[in-house]
Amino acid sequence: MKRLFYFFPLLIFYGCNSNTEIADRSNVQWQDIEKDLQTALIMANDGDTINLPEGYFKFSKSLLMDEKSNIVFKGTGIDKTILSFKEQKEGAEGIKIADCKNIILEGFTIEDAAGDNIKVTDTEGITFRKVKAQWTGKVSEENGAYALYPVLCKNVLIENCIAIGSSDAGIYVGQSDSVIIRNNEAYQNVAGIESENSNHVEIYENIAINNTGGILVFDLPGLTQYGENIKVYKNIVKENNHRNFAPEGNIVGVVPPGTGIMVLATRNVDIYKNEIIDNRSAGIAIISYELVAAISEEETKEANEEQAGSAQRVNNNYSLDENYNPYPWEIKIHENVISNDKWFATFQHDFGKLFNFKYPFNPPDIVFDGFIADGKEAKDVLCIDQEDIHFVNLDAPNELENMNEKIEDFLCL
Amino acid sequence: MPLKKHIVIILAAVFTVSCYTKEKNEKVEKLSEEKASNTFVFKSNQNIGKEKLSDYNFFKGELKTLEPGKNVHPYTLNSPLFSDYAQKARFVMIPEGKEAQYHSTEVLEFPVGSILIKNFYYPSDFSNPDGERRIIETRLLIHEEEGWKALPYVWNDKQTEAFLEVAGATKSVSWRDTEGNTQKINYSVPNMNQCRSCHLKNGKITPIGPSARQLNGDYNYTQNGNMNQLAYWEKHHLISDLPSTGMPKLVNYEDDQAPLADRARAYLEINCGHCHRPDGPAKNSALHLMASVDNPAAWGVGKTPIAAGKGSGGLKYDIVPGHPEESILAYRMESTDPGIMMPELGRQLVHKEGLELVKNWIAEMK
Repeated sequence: MKRLFYFFPLLIFYGCNSNTEIADRSNVQWQDIEKDLQTALIMANDGDTINLPEGYFKFSKSLLMDEKSNIVFKGTGIDKTILSFKEQKEGAEGIKIADCKNIILEGFTIEDAAGDNIKVTDTEGITFRKVKAQWTGKVSEENGAYALYPVLCKNVLIENCIAIGSSDAGIYVGQSDSVIIRNNEAYQNVAGIESENSNHVEIYENIAINNTGGILVFDLPGLTQYGENIKVYKNIVKENNHRNFAPEGNIVGVVPPGTGIMVLATRNVDIYKNEIIDNRSAGIAIISYELVAAISEEETKEANEEQAGSAQRVNNNYSLDENYNPYPWEIKIHENVISNDKWFATFQHDFGKLFNFKYPFNPPDIVFDGFIADGKEAKDVLCIDQEDIHFVNLDAPNELENMNEKIEDFLCL
Repeated sequence: MPLKKHIVIILAAVFTVSCYTKEKNEKVEKLSEEKASNTFVFKSNQNIGKEKLSDYNFFKGELKTLEPGKNVHPYTLNSPLFSDYAQKARFVMIPEGKEAQYHSTEVLEFPVGSILIKNFYYPSDFSNPDGERRIIETRLLIHEEEGWKALPYVWNDKQTEAFLEVAGATKSVSWRDTEGNTQKINYSVPNMNQCRSCHLKNGKITPIGPSARQLNGDYNYTQNGNMNQLAYWEKHHLISDLPSTGMPKLVNYEDDQAPLADRARAYLEINCGHCHRPDGPAKNSALHLMASVDNPAAWGVGKTPIAAGKGSGGLKYDIVPGHPEESILAYRMESTDPGIMMPELGRQLVHKEGLELVKNWIAEMK
């Protein structure tokens, strides 16, 4: 009987995504300052400010800055100074900064890099302020991965920035320590804002709208460090129902369209005072790497029986990483406003279909996959201090056998 | 010989740099008040390097003959990096009376004052590699007190001199390949930071090629004839602590007598391993391609990508044994899209032979 719901909504809800064309550049007068700007980045002295003028500038190679201290790289403002890498022939990034100290990037738009718009590695003290990083035109799998991408950094501040159209994460921080991400806006990315394997991260007062997943907190195996102590608060996480356009093989490909906030395998994540509105599949999802591996294995089996062996190896891979804990732990959820006036979870994802089948017209506010490590209490893993929540426990350890809505074990009111 | 030099660059109609010296914290006056916003005077007290290649006196006679002078020795590598089919004439200058220290796995420890000199050239006709040639660039790695420094020198069309170009250059190059076809590319000379991008290890610039494993092979010396390079280095007191037996050797990946896996791993080491190692710039990818790594998952077997973006090509694993067509590693070697291709720098063309080697290796993998 319930299966009937599957069919007619498809017609109604498909194509709900507002998929607007991003930034028309057809009538732009491009200027070329490439050689001089790259020279300045090479020759800059400690303490210099590099002021970019107003205008549209295009580049054929990545701009690189290495081993500099106390440099301010400054334009005349978002959408006033525009750096385009659309015709890039060399390098995967737009701007790449490595092994620097105390760098400020401020006041410009950067767009259409082949890979990542701005990548910063091994840098202590990096500020992104009033930077817009985007891919123009129609959103597509061809877009680069990360708009703002500090990785292996310390003391990261990202504020008043805008990220649009990333095929992985718009505002991302990876394998970094001491991070503040505040007052930013993320639209039409697969992941709006993401913290991965990072410590002491605060994500607050941001707006994530119309991404596949609004805010993600991930911990992946086999990397240089693991993440913990993350606070996600006072964000507006709304209508993150965009189709997932991550190229196959990227972990964010597992995120169902319609996910507000997702925590994967990370320890000590505090999620509070957020407005989590109209994310059609799940307001907050708490999952373990076991589930990701299982999904990946399932997909691989479906795709090609022969390849099940290599999927098995992925699983072994993460169990090889002895220090990796695939389960989330100490996740606290309180004082959030979670609401959803969408009747159906996404149909573009198995879990969405599952929710529609099991809980028609009532997609979950909070989803938990059900993996609780030996010796742990339910409340050690997930503690929900909120009332009137539609909670779903997937019971993934038992092949979803006893999927249920029992929130009691996880309530710590 | 200090290489210090004050360089003043005037960039017109571009952007402004305002300089603050940290100690004094006073603004340097702009020389030109007129169009102040579009002109800036940029004083750099950085140690950049000599303006011309000939200033170093590496070579005797006509510069373009690359005839090594005093303390300059030619060398070659068993498995060289692919650079758009450019040929390379490599030399090392080791200061009089000093020696490089042997290391069994890593690049030799070169004494301060050493300079590695790598000349990139194209024979007009690849069927006659020793015939007419055009030298495009010379890259120097200079070992100073505070570390290694990488400098790109670009040759003029007359082939009489090469000039320091910190921001690199693009040169149109054409040649006849061994099949008689004309090849043409806009060859890219890297800027100083691009040099660094490949030569980083633990955040420091280091040489990539000249390890004992790479040097353990023959070279046809003008004076000595054909001779093992390590033996030559020992004979000329260029190397210390050389063991008498059990010298490690990296296979030449073009040697089709060698085991396929060894050849492929050697290829991946020299072309990818300088980034893809635990202390290299691509450490965040968790893919480690040095030939010495013995965990298949670390060199890509069944490994999922971390941040490949569209570089995954819609594929799930770096290497799927038996299936090169499903392996991200081969997909990225086969691409020339800057957002997908690997290595990220230093090539615009697909290395057909290298790709074939790696594909065959994956195809035979169990």
